[in-house]
Amino acid sequence: MRTLFIAFDPRLIDSHTLIVSILGYCIVLFTLSAMAYLMVRFHSVRDFIRTRRLKKETKPASAVPVKVVMTGEENAAIAAALYLFFSELHDQEKYVMTIKKVSRTYSPWSSKFYNIFNNMKHW
Amino acid sequence: MKLLLITNLFQGIWADTGFSNLYWDNGIMILVGLALIVLAIKFNLKPILLIPLAVGIVIGNIPFMHSTPYPLGIYAEGSILHYLFFGVLKGIYPALIFLGLGAMVDLSPMIANPKLMILGAAAQVGILVTFLGAIILGFPIAHAASIAIIGGADGNTAIFLTSQLAAGLKNLPEAAKVQGLIGPVAIAAYLYMALVPVIQPPIMKLLTTRKERLIRMKPQRTVSRNEKIAFPLVFLLLTAFVAPASLPLLGMFFFGNILKESGLTKQLAGTVSTVMIDILVILIGITVGASTQADVFLKWESILIFVLGALSFMVATAGGIIFAKVMNIFLKKENRINPLIGAAGVAAVPDSARIAHEMGQKEDSTNHLISHAMAPNIAGIIGSAVTAGLLLAFIL
Repeated sequence: MRTLFIAFDPRLIDSHTLIVSILGYCIVLFTLSAMAYLMVRFHSVRDFIRTRRLKKETKPASAVPVKVVMTGEENAAIAAALYLFFSELHDQEKYVMTIKKVSRTYSPWSSKFYNIFNNMKHW
Repeated sequence: MKLLLITNLFQGIWADTGFSNLYWDNGIMILVGLALIVLAIKFNLKPILLIPLAVGIVIGNIPFMHSTPYPLGIYAEGSILHYLFFGVLKGIYPALIFLGLGAMVDLSPMIANPKLMILGAAAQVGILVTFLGAIILGFPIAHAASIAIIGGADGNTAIFLTSQLAAGLKNLPEAAKVQGLIGPVAIAAYLYMALVPVIQPPIMKLLTTRKERLIRMKPQRTVSRNEKIAFPLVFLLLTAFVAPASLPLLGMFFFGNILKESGLTKQLAGTVSTVMIDILVILIGITVGASTQADVFLKWESILIFVLGALSFMVATAGGIIFAKVMNIFLKKENRINPLIGAAGVAAVPDSARIAHEMGQKEDSTNHLISHAMAPNIAGIIGSAVTAGLLLAFIL
C-alpha cells in the first residue's frame, strides 16, 4: 500500500486543458442541440409539405363550380326515401334473444350413428 | 522417513491452498464482494449488474500461489480469465452492449420532444468538472479523463474510454497505468449506476421546489414509423461526423435501434437485446469484478477515483436539473419542463428516468413523467459517448 499523496494545485490546469474541456463540453452541447433543432425543423417542413399537398388536392374541386339543378320529382323521391328510412329507425332495440326449440322424432333412417359406423366397418 | 514424506506432502498441499496465501487485503476485497452481493439481493440494487460484479470481486481475490506452473489470475497471460478479460481490455464488450442497448431503447420520447435532448448534454457538465478536478488533484490527463467519464453514469462508456486510452498510449509506460484504471473506474461507474436510487433523490429534492416537482408536462405526440427509422440514421451521421472516435459505441447503438425499428429484423433485434446482452453483462461483470485483485485495486488512487466518481455523478445530476430550470425561464407556461427529468440526463438507463418518475409521483400520483424522462436519459447515453469520443480525440 502506497502512502496517500494528494496534490491540490489549480495551476496544474494549463490553458490547453481548460480549452479542451470547455470546447469538448460545448461540442457535446452543440451536437445535441443541433439534433434537437433538426428534429424541430423536420416537423415544420413535414407540416408545410402536408398542408401544400392538401391545398393541391382541394384546388381542382373548388376551381370548377358545379351547378346543381334538382327537379321536383327528384326532391320528392329523396324526401320519400328519407321518410321511409327514419320511420324504420328504432330508439331502442329489444335485447331479448329467443331460441326456437326444434324437436325431431328419432328414426334409424336419419341416425348418424348407424350411417357412419356401419360404413366405417366396410372400409 | 514415511512420516517426513507425509508431512512434506501436506505442507505442499497447504502451500497451494488459499488459506496459506491469504493476506488481509484479499480478505477485505472478498468481504467487499460479499457485501455487494447482500446489497444487490436484499435491497434489489440493480442485481443484474451488481451480482456478476460482486461474484467477480470474490473470484478475483481468492488468494493463490503466484508461482503456479499454470496461468491462473486474470492478469496472468494465457489464463482463462485473462482471455475473457480481453473483451474488456480491447473495448469489445462495451461496443456489443451498446448494440443490445440500441435494440432495447425506444427513441420516440426524444423524437416527440426534441428540446429534452439538451438536458442529456447539460448533464455532461459532471464530466467537465471532474476532469478539471482530477487534474487539480495531480492525476495525469489520461487518468483524469477516465475518472471524469464516471459522471456519465455508464460503465460501458467508462470501460471503452479507458481501454482505448490505454491502447492509444501503446508502448508508453503510462499505458499500463491507464489499463490498471479499468477495474476501479468500471466498478465505480457500475456501483453508482446501481446506487442511482440512493444518490439522486436527495439532490433532486434539494434543487427543486414542490411547485416545480408538480409541473405537468404536455402529453407526447405519436411518432410515426418513418421518423423512428429516419432519425437514428440522422443521429448516427451527425454524431459520427462530430466525434468519429465514439463510432464503435454510437455506430453499434444506432445500428441496434435500426434493427428494432425497421420491423423486418425482429429476430436479430430480439437476439441482441436479450440473449446477447445478457451474455455480455455476465462476461463484463465477472471479468471487471475479477480485475479488482487486491494488489492492483487496493490503492489510495482507487479511493480517490471513487470519491471523484461520486462527485462527478452528483454534479451531472445537479447540472441536468439546473439546466431544466433555466430552460423553463424561456419556455411558455404550457411547454414547461418538470426539472426532475433533468436528473435523468445521466446515462443510467432506465433507472434515473424511473427515479425522476417516482419523485414526481410522490408529489402527485397522477403525474406520469417516465416517458418524458426517457428523452434526456437516452440523450445522456449519446452525450456521454460523444464526450468519450471527444476526450479520446483531444488526449491522443
